[in-house]
Amino acid sequence: MSQRYSAVPVTTFCVLSAAVFGLTAWAARDTWENLGNPAILTGYTLFVLMLLLGFLNARKRLSMLPVGRASVWLAFHVVAGILALAMFWLHTGTIWPVGLYEQVLTGLFYLVSLSGIVGYGLSRMLPRRLAQTEIEIIFERIPAELAEIREKIEALVLECTEKTGSDTVAQHYIGTLSWFFARPRFRISHIVGGDAAGHWLRGPGSAASRYLNDPERAYFDQIIELGELKCLIDRHYACQELLKKWLLVHVPLAMAVILVAVWHLILVNVYAL
Amino acid sequence: MTESDVESLLRRPDIAAIEADNFPKHTPLKGVLLNDTRIVRFRAGDIVVREGDYGNSAFLVLEGSLRVVLAPELPQSLLGRQQTGKKGFFEALSQLWTNSTVPEVRDISRYQGQGLRGGSDSANARVFLQDVPAVLDRHRTAKLEDGALFGELAALGRVPRTATIFAEQEATLLEIRWQGLRELRKYDEGWRRMIDQRYRENALKTHLQESIMFSRLDENALQSVVDKVLFETYGAFDWNVAFQKQRQSGNAKEPVIARQGEYPDGVLMIRAGFARVSVKHGNGERTLTYLGAGDHFGLGELYAAWKNPDIPDIALYTTLTALGYVDVIRVPAPILEEHVFPFMEQPTSTTMDIASKPVADDAMMEWAVEERFINATRSMVIDLERCVRCDDCVRACASTHGGNPRFRRHGRTFDNIMVANACMHCADPVCMIGCPTGAIHRTVETGIVVINDLTCIGCATCANSCPYNNIAMVAIRTKDGHTIADPNTGKPIFKATKCDFCDSNPGGPACVRACPYGALRRVHFREFNPAGAG
Ligand code: SF4
Ligand code: SF4
Repeated sequence: MSQRYSAVPVTTFCVLSAAVFGLTAWAARDTWENLGNPAILTGYTLFVLMLLLGFLNARKRLSMLPVGRASVWLAFHVVAGILALAMFWLHTGTIWPVGLYEQVLTGLFYLVSLSGIVGYGLSRMLPRRLAQTEIEIIFERIPAELAEIREKIEALVLECTEKTGSDTVAQHYIGTLSWFFARPRFRISHIVGGDAAGHWLRGPGSAASRYLNDPERAYFDQIIELGELKCLIDRHYACQELLKKWLLVHVPLAMAVILVAVWHLILVNVYAL
Repeated sequence: MTESDVESLLRRPDIAAIEADNFPKHTPLKGVLLNDTRIVRFRAGDIVVREGDYGNSAFLVLEGSLRVVLAPELPQSLLGRQQTGKKGFFEALSQLWTNSTVPEVRDISRYQGQGLRGGSDSANARVFLQDVPAVLDRHRTAKLEDGALFGELAALGRVPRTATIFAEQEATLLEIRWQGLRELRKYDEGWRRMIDQRYRENALKTHLQESIMFSRLDENALQSVVDKVLFETYGAFDWNVAFQKQRQSGNAKEPVIARQGEYPDGVLMIRAGFARVSVKHGNGERTLTYLGAGDHFGLGELYAAWKNPDIPDIALYTTLTALGYVDVIRVPAPILEEHVFPFMEQPTSTTMDIASKPVADDAMMEWAVEERFINATRSMVIDLERCVRCDDCVRACASTHGGNPRFRRHGRTFDNIMVANACMHCADPVCMIGCPTGAIHRTVETGIVVINDLTCIGCATCANSCPYNNIAMVAIRTKDGHTIADPNTGKPIFKATKCDFCDSNPGGPACVRACPYGALRRVHFREFNPAGAG
């Protein structure tokens, strides 16, 4: 019943990609030696590759069909993406072309490639960081969870003031802690794996601790404990948000590249006539 | 059941024959009849039990006549079950544009003519055969009349019912709950003899033959084994209810079946349910493995005792406790010494190898047993170190199930593993006990637990029984988003929904195929290797 994730498709796609690249390069050189235009061959190969890369997004909508596993499609997407980059250089013969239109196309292509590489890296790195929080939370539930934490803290602050007759904790909450609990904080630190949130909570966040007596401290410790939980939820928020948002850059850019490439194809064919 | 019902029952010769004096004060016969039985009436054509269903009660015919279907089996559609068949490519594709944006849309005209009566009350709802004479014509049947007892083996052994029985004419039956049946067997010699005899005749021989220990025995030897083994049950049949409560309080009770250090007087064969094998470790018990139907316990120790008669005091290496409900066959040592040991190799024990490993190595197993995930045959396991929380799996499930996902990407976690709230298609599916129309059932072809939407009356018996909270009750709607109300009661109609393992979808479970990072798998916990994800 259990299914293993297999490295076989990746190896197969790598071998296939190397073969496609080798064949195209050889055919291009042959064309060039026979005074033909190798850019036609490499350009069309590149264009087909771009379309194939775009199919990954279409596959998400076809989950009801037996069209293979998305993990295999992703493996293909990654390998074909690298091949596309190599093919792009083979096609243009340069890292940065001269014409403005070509520069726009190249710029977009590089941005797609870069966002793809970064996104792939993030999707390998951030899930581990999330697993280490030892809590699991659905992204859409995070605002509600944070609101619940705030309610609990405000109830504690009120109770503390009523029972102890002192407003030190309340003052500290209003002046300092409420900023932290208002919404997700320290996003960058959470993404890069730092502990700025914990550091803040132990520092300025706990600054009032030395002015509290034992009954007040019992309430305050509960608030700090909830703060630690919030740090974990914040980490989920920061990482999950990034995992969702990089696609909002990558996919529209990829569409833009395909559109600009289609226009490029039309122009080249019109001028070739 | 009222006092006067009990009095009139006690006037029947078959009930009067029970020796009330043998019942202890805390469990008098009248009390058993009052609390653990009820009188149920069936109209002609009503199906009383269905082949393949799980049930926790037996029936005694008080009046009327019933028919047992012998051959050929009744078609699944007549039993109120789903007709499964894979969708074709284009039918599957059409979900792209036919899925409504409103969740749980139903065409209620399809609910007509399903052979259902009794409304949405679980005590009265029944599936009935609309043309009894035609059924009698086409199928070989046997008659059951006044005084016949049936369903006791499935009720006591927690195994599926072996035949379909329906009322030929109006019939009155005494339904005896599992608890009552157990007491009758325990305190009344006549009932014990009858039940054990029927078990020995009908099920035991086949069961023993399936075991590697007895498969080579000839008919006579097998019969002498059959005559001498003992039957025992541990734990409560409705363990799921207790487990749900105990899970919250954190102290699940597990009756001990055999204790480490004690003398083994026989091999224990598990017939149904699950049992934990553990050893003392520090101040606690360390789980080494769990046993399910077909497994045995204590063979190694008994073999060693037989092989080395000079070694005194051979004792059990491990403890066996009941996880929920366990049905056990005890094979006494002398039988093994006569029929089995002389012809077998020294049994190899893997449990003691496990005990020599660091405890961290089997912490996962300990957790799975604690959470009763061992019941799973197709548990949804997500590797949280791979999962990017993209919800492609959830969307894939929704797009293959009319726009509403059949699981939640949330659940219990251990280390980097999450067992999501998706039906696990249990080996012991407690959800199937008590469904009045048999709408929740295992498919014949694949053994997957599915719900027939057409015969589900929305009583929520299954949802309340599932210990893992994997069944959701949903209000059904029209295409324009209005909830559909029952014309008789005016209340919204609910249906039970859950993961059906994409039984009718080509290509298998969409969730597994949709995960771009290979983080989601469906696993049988026995075979589960967390590292397999990597
Ligand atoms: S619904 Fe619950 S009890 Fe029934 S098979 Fe699924 S997980 Fe098991
Ligand atoms: S599809 Fe895979 S990666 Fe995405 S949420 Fe589901 S299990 Fe996680």
